[in-house]
Amino acid sequence: MDGSIEFTMGLSQGIAWPWPIAVYLFFAGISGGALSVALFIRFYKQQTENTAFLKAASLMSLVTISLGMLCLVLDLTNPLFFWRILVFYNLNSVMSIGVIALSAYIPLVALVTLFALEDEIRKFPALRFLLPVIAKLRGVRAPSEKVVLLLALSVCAYTGFLISALIRFPIINTSVLPALFVASGLSAGAAAAKMLAVGLFKEELHSSDMKVLHGIEWPIMAAEILFIFMLAMSLFTGNAGMQSAFTAFHSGTWASVFWIGIIGIGFVGPLLLNFATSKAFSHSAKALYMSGMCAVVGMMCLRLFIIYAGQNHGI
Amino acid sequence: MSENLERRRFLKCLGASSLIIAPLGCSSVEEEGESDQPHYTMVFDQNKCTGCGECKLACTTANNLPEGKSRLLLEQQSGGVVGEVCPHCGKTDCDCQRKYVRVSCQQCKNAPCVTVCPTGAAHRDEKTGIVTMDASKCAGCKYCIGACPYDARFINKETDVADNCDFCLNSKLSKGELPACVQACRYDALIFGDLNDPNSYVSKLLRVKDAVRMKPGFGTEPSLRYIPIVKLGV
Ligand code: SF4
Ligand code: SF4
Repeated sequence: MDGSIEFTMGLSQGIAWPWPIAVYLFFAGISGGALSVALFIRFYKQQTENTAFLKAASLMSLVTISLGMLCLVLDLTNPLFFWRILVFYNLNSVMSIGVIALSAYIPLVALVTLFALEDEIRKFPALRFLLPVIAKLRGVRAPSEKVVLLLALSVCAYTGFLISALIRFPIINTSVLPALFVASGLSAGAAAAKMLAVGLFKEELHSSDMKVLHGIEWPIMAAEILFIFMLAMSLFTGNAGMQSAFTAFHSGTWASVFWIGIIGIGFVGPLLLNFATSKAFSHSAKALYMSGMCAVVGMMCLRLFIIYAGQNHGI
Repeated sequence: MSENLERRRFLKCLGASSLIIAPLGCSSVEEEGESDQPHYTMVFDQNKCTGCGECKLACTTANNLPEGKSRLLLEQQSGGVVGEVCPHCGKTDCDCQRKYVRVSCQQCKNAPCVTVCPTGAAHRDEKTGIVTMDASKCAGCKYCIGACPYDARFINKETDVADNCDFCLNSKLSKGELPACVQACRYDALIFGDLNDPNSYVSKLLRVKDAVRMKPGFGTEPSLRYIPIVKLGV
């Protein structure tokens, strides 16, 4: 026996961070991912018009980050204490730094969305009061898009850093987590925005934006698989605590979530839909929605797996 | 030969880099407040603890906690050693549960709960160096609970904020009294004092007794010491 004395009970009774945190990580990832991809394409192709994909991505980003914030606040022991996080700061804390980033990110996302949806706003009389605001702020559009791209990527990464600081859980306390969360945020964010672009903003299925998206999807997914593999391997070859955490990958409920949700639906699903079906089907809107949903569901399962399997396997 | 050279070069680099790094290191040590600060330590002697639970009750009362809740737990463990006669019941195969371990905040010198807390609610008291709570700042995010490697924090259901054992800093220590649990223990299983004072009882005790710290691998440098039951005649 290594320790002559040890305790195994705890005072917190249950897991500290339940599913709303997983949902928050999911929404923040989608928000950051969708906006980053859209702005990447905008800068890469030097677009100046408001493309359907930009509209969809910025709207998606604004809605998801707002829902994410709601989850975060509702998970506090008393939601009325929320102001305390905004008033008191501790710069050693990843969460505090995240709060600073988010309080710049959220208004900027709103601004970017406003610019992108100018035409739509014009169509609704109730929203017309926003037009003078847009006109006045037009000068800051380019710089704010650049800043928000940086912040969007930071928000994705921050969700990973936030939880990787929990040192007693080997699955969570890994250095690849931020990278994994950026990759999965990008792929699910892009998938979600793509569906919205086609469904709401009538983007053509084979427009040039969609082609670029197709081109970057697979490499990002490959990176994601690589990061998950790295995480599993580091646990498998690690110390006793890490090895016991590795069991999360092959036994218990969360192992099913991993294999069915993340691997099956998240990775194999889109691959099959794209490469194992007839060309007519894989190029249809139906296939786009189905593989988009697969990516989003896979990402949600990944967050749930990390949060629950992670906290269930402490040292 | 080459190994020697390597080593020499390594030492040289070490010397040079320490010149650069040392000032940085010093500045971060300074804020910890140096040697005139006490280092409060609690020793739990497993040989003396009977599991009566008086310490838990005293904690609940002293710190106005909701009924049945205290800042410490006593984990009951089996006292038996496989293949040996149990000293309590005389059987080789028994399930006597006769060993207790105090589960509570370990008062880490390098406390993850303090680092992680976004509002500074979980903080180190300036004068005593004790990790304690400013309940008026806590947002209830539970980050500290996940970050504490000892799972030693909890949410107080009455105040909705996080809580931890702080050696009764506000309820007893500030009045010059010993922590409530230490006062309540009739078997002297708990000893409390300043480890920086060579004449304190804890200092003397720890000089002569073997004591261990919990999960030292986390690098948190806990201030709680445990004297485990030692099996004789192995
Ligand atoms: S034991 Fe936990 S609560 Fe206590 S100081 Fe260490 S990290 Fe903080
Ligand atoms: S629950 Fe309170 S004490 Fe703990 S990290 Fe959050 S704000 Fe700090």
